[in-house]
Amino acid sequence: MEKIQIFLNINDKPCEVMIYPNDTLLEVLRDELDLTGSKESCGEGVCGSCTVHMDGNPVRSCLTLAMEAVGTKITTVEGLANGEQLSDLQQSFVDHGAVQCGFCTPGMLMSADALLKENSRPDEKTIRKALSGNICRCTGYAKIVAAVAHAGNPQDHCPDCKPGK
Amino acid sequence: MRLPRFEYLGPETLDQALDLLATHKDDAKILAGGTDLLVRMKKRLVKPKALISLKALNELSYIKKQDGYIKIGARTSLADIIASDLIQKEARALFQACEKIGAITIQHFRGTIGGNILQDNRCHHYNQSQFHRSGRQACHKDGGKICYAREEADRCNSTCQSDGATALMALGASIILAQKGGERTMDLADFYTTDGIMPHACESHELLKEIIIPVQAAQSAYHRLAYRSAIDYPIVCAGVFLKPSLKNEIADARIVVGAMGRSPLFLAQASSSLKGKAFNDTDAFKKAADASMDSAATFAVHNVGATLEYRCAMVSQMVIQALEQAAAAIKA
Amino acid sequence: MSDYTIVGKRMSRVDSRAKVMGKAKFTADLKLPGMLVGKIKRSPYAHARILNIDISKALALAGVKAVVTGKDTEGVKWGVFAYTRDQQFIQTQKARYIGDEVAGVAAVDEETALKALDLIEITYEELPPVFDPMEAMTSQTELIHEDFPNNINIHVNIDTGQVDENFKKSFYIREDTFVAPEESYFQAEPYAVVARFDHEDCLEVWCPNGGPHMKSKPLSNAFKIPLHKVKIRKIAIGGAFGGRSEICPADYICALLAKKTQKPVKIEFTREENTIGTRQGHAMITTHKTGVDEKGQVLARETTCYMDGGAYSSTGPIATSVPFLSMEQAYRMGSVRYNGYRIYTNKPIRGMIRTHGRGFACGLDTQLDMIADHLGIDPVEIRLRNSRQPGEYTSTKSYVDSCAMDETIHKAVEKSGFKEKWGKLPPFHGIGIGTNSVQTGFPMGIRGGSQAFIKFNEDGEATVMSGVVDNGQGNENMLVQIAAEELGLLPEDIHLVSADTETTSSDPGSYSQVSTFVGGHAVKIAAQNCREKLFKVAAKVLKVAPEKLAAKNRLIFVKNDPGSKRCKASKSIPIKKVVRISLLNFNSVNAEGGYWPRVDMKREWVKNPYGQMCEAFSFGTTIVEVKVDPETGQVEVLEVTAAQDVGYAINPLVLEGQFEGALTMGGQGGMLTEYHEWKDGRCINTNMLDYKLPLACDMPPKINNIIVESIDPKGPYGAKEAGMSIAMSAAQGYSAAVSNAIGVYMDSFPLTPDKILAAIKERKAQSEKKEPSKKNEVN
Repeated sequence: MEKIQIFLNINDKPCEVMIYPNDTLLEVLRDELDLTGSKESCGEGVCGSCTVHMDGNPVRSCLTLAMEAVGTKITTVEGLANGEQLSDLQQSFVDHGAVQCGFCTPGMLMSADALLKENSRPDEKTIRKALSGNICRCTGYAKIVAAVAHAGNPQDHCPDCKPGK
Repeated sequence: MRLPRFEYLGPETLDQALDLLATHKDDAKILAGGTDLLVRMKKRLVKPKALISLKALNELSYIKKQDGYIKIGARTSLADIIASDLIQKEARALFQACEKIGAITIQHFRGTIGGNILQDNRCHHYNQSQFHRSGRQACHKDGGKICYAREEADRCNSTCQSDGATALMALGASIILAQKGGERTMDLADFYTTDGIMPHACESHELLKEIIIPVQAAQSAYHRLAYRSAIDYPIVCAGVFLKPSLKNEIADARIVVGAMGRSPLFLAQASSSLKGKAFNDTDAFKKAADASMDSAATFAVHNVGATLEYRCAMVSQMVIQALEQAAAAIKA
Repeated sequence: MSDYTIVGKRMSRVDSRAKVMGKAKFTADLKLPGMLVGKIKRSPYAHARILNIDISKALALAGVKAVVTGKDTEGVKWGVFAYTRDQQFIQTQKARYIGDEVAGVAAVDEETALKALDLIEITYEELPPVFDPMEAMTSQTELIHEDFPNNINIHVNIDTGQVDENFKKSFYIREDTFVAPEESYFQAEPYAVVARFDHEDCLEVWCPNGGPHMKSKPLSNAFKIPLHKVKIRKIAIGGAFGGRSEICPADYICALLAKKTQKPVKIEFTREENTIGTRQGHAMITTHKTGVDEKGQVLARETTCYMDGGAYSSTGPIATSVPFLSMEQAYRMGSVRYNGYRIYTNKPIRGMIRTHGRGFACGLDTQLDMIADHLGIDPVEIRLRNSRQPGEYTSTKSYVDSCAMDETIHKAVEKSGFKEKWGKLPPFHGIGIGTNSVQTGFPMGIRGGSQAFIKFNEDGEATVMSGVVDNGQGNENMLVQIAAEELGLLPEDIHLVSADTETTSSDPGSYSQVSTFVGGHAVKIAAQNCREKLFKVAAKVLKVAPEKLAAKNRLIFVKNDPGSKRCKASKSIPIKKVVRISLLNFNSVNAEGGYWPRVDMKREWVKNPYGQMCEAFSFGTTIVEVKVDPETGQVEVLEVTAAQDVGYAINPLVLEGQFEGALTMGGQGGMLTEYHEWKDGRCINTNMLDYKLPLACDMPPKINNIIVESIDPKGPYGAKEAGMSIAMSAAQGYSAAVSNAIGVYMDSFPLTPDKILAAIKERKAQSEKKEPSKKNEVN
């Protein structure tokens, strides 16, 4: 079988890759484009570790063919920061102790980022619902929820918030 | 986990897609959101030679009200259905069902209503990796002659765990199947074959095009049970439809139980037992729920994770909760 | 209380930034030039003799670079202990579980490797398998391991004497049996290994591990190369939870493929392989017989526990002991007899897990509640009457120094409103309490200690080298906090070289809960030694005695000098300057430090299970409040209060995260939804859809974390273990709360809705007859 040349838009950058039709977006991101931030934890679209944005919507990259991503805008965790400057959400994760082993973190950030873009002041219930497709084994979710709540509502300071950082 | 190899076909229009289907037939599968198909392909349960992607077929994504019917394009995303005022008001069971499917970030943006209706039947012995299935005889659904869920069974007992199907059957939905050069309409209830291996009466050259729900002065509701509040398939669910008469009694009722058999179960007797009853007749609701439970229990096998006893007992719960919710909505 | 600058503070972790940017490298993220893809062929049969393996077709496939089988090994059996050597890394004779390793391939890409696996033709002769541990002990079919009669892998017997006499003296005796199937780690990161032999024939390995030095020794033995040529590298690790500690056949197979191909090889496990091809928790059947006096104080206890060990020993002797040890640490017992049996079955291997012994522990606490009920005292009271006190010895003669068990009980009771709620809540609304203790360390023989090395760079910043590994719990940050505190630097001035066996000294590993107590302590001592050297030089410059100096904020200054604030320039000197002056005057600016816990080196799990187990123990209490839906049996968790005596909180933010994660794993998942289901030795729920890990939407809305500090005399700053205790007491708290809510003491875990519903129904039926009889009363 021959490889096919496709053009993708990843984190606002056009990329050209050679792929097989059965390559998933996750495989292409990790193996061809060296964007290893998105992870494979289950391979079946259940855990959320591979979550990326497709035209702003969170999707499972392990269940998205690379071919299906052609013509769309893909954002990965590597696209959240502005160079070396962390996004408010990323900084909030760091400040609130929401990162332990870090394996689920990229997927969590992508799901949370999509939520905050749609609803900048979500309440706790909404946050938990939005993150229910992301499995974390380390944190018990409490500090992740706090980090998302405070990134969305910076005026609700807690001792761990570092406003204006 | 690597997918098997296939040819990727990307038609630009519905006609092109139907052309491809007519050519490839059994060798091709339709790719919508992929959250069911691609997982089964990773497990090597299905290895189509070609995938026909619906990516460009925006013409299959729509929700509209026309001539007293709600018409939903098969490729409409679950997120769009959940956001639709029309569906929330006029087809509430479908709204409630779609909300519960998987999780927002898994299914709702990629998942389609057509994909959910065409979700393959499931069984915790069948839906396993190739490695898990090696070293033992193949089951019926896997091309063999054994059922691991029900000993001695001479047929497949895989379960339909589609939330959408259960709700839509309760709503009395019908579907349009398109093929090259024509299309046909059929009741959703007839679309489910009750065969575990081939659960859908869809020919290999046909494509699910549209779902049609009659708009009525009635209410519907959907309830499902799972271990967790997201991600999981239902272990038992119920969709109900209640239509009031001018005397404010139940003129028409439909109770459909899902995740308990090879197809969603329309419980005719339990449903008709509610005709003429008042909307606050909790006794009638209980009787109908228990009757549903007794019927459904004869079909179910232990193949979706929770104990069979528990699922059967919960049929009654799901039906009652759905009936009460629909009845309350009618009162309001 | 303390005047530390960095230690004791809520501090965001040093490793978080790379992780939120997606830059942290986990094993599967690694790409090395020329790297091949490795895959493992596993037995599809639970018990089968391997008659023949034909690899010719696989070798002939284009793109396949190597195929290895048992023939490529010397067939040596490995074991964590000398007396548990029962596992070959690639099976030569027979497969003992579905998943047992029988071959490995390395190919240019994943597709080719998978194809090659299918082309390996193996002829098996199936043997009768045993899946039930009780059946396995009496089965007449071929033993799983020929050297272990009755398929009994380990038998731990502990008897403090006087047990039968004390039963005779008891006022009330109960005997109850509790069962729980296995649970699983489900670390977020599926196991992976990258291995390569370099130009000096040194073996480099990257893999998630609970202690790199635990991996290097067996590899050194297996490949007959000295330890200094085995380099287990530092890599970000996505969780361990007590697993990933000992060597895994995949480590060996990957290294063997790397040796054969002279190329780096990467093996990535699927989620299924991580579930069945690494380790799982033990299923257990536990019978507790307890005799108490009129006050409810335990005079005698006899416990028998049968553990389903799976096909190989793993950490068998430890696993068979830990649930007992937690019990004897948490509670006083006048006398006790314990018989723990770890039994082989043809199922995946079981190992140590954070929630080890949920059935054992929940059973113990449930029985205490039943006894309390009978005596007319409340669950808090009976625990206070039996709780461990400082200065006591455990039944097996471990001295307990610091202990604030009672404080954790009192604080949790107060915060949760237990006394106001217990017995006063409406039907199907319940509250329960669980208490437990975890050992901070095991006797680890030659690997019991940790040594750290610190060097100052000429810019006044420091590099710390430590064997401590971080599995995600925050050990790296802990080392940086301690080093920064002792050296007088800021955290960003410290660079950490850790968990790398080429450069760092042996360390016991994280899985025995000693990363802070031993590893952190070694860094503290090394830093103090380093600081002492700098103080000698600084003292000359500042013209004061070295004892008068302190270091903070990159400065060395004179302590408590009234003039020092005003005349900073004369009474203080930047550390950077001291380093430069030292180097220019032929002085070393490096130091080392080590810590070895003084345990009884003669204590042995099986042969001599008595003596000092470790130097410190953590103690914890978890109180849980739930509502049960009597129609569906589903549980809504309202509030969880977790209180643990951690000795000292080096970083309260990190500790809270540990508590929250622990109660989720041990309580929410461990008590409500997590278990494995089987069909003929095949695990039915190996993936994240079918094995129910808790999700964000199902967690309780209110979690109270209470940190209790007893300031252990041995621990660094007084710190003890803080990652495991809550997992266990949370399981007990959840179990007690559900039992309280439905008015039935549960004896089969986890408490899934079907079991809860069945219990509710049975109770209703019984109460409609007469007063419910309490089964298992002996007098």
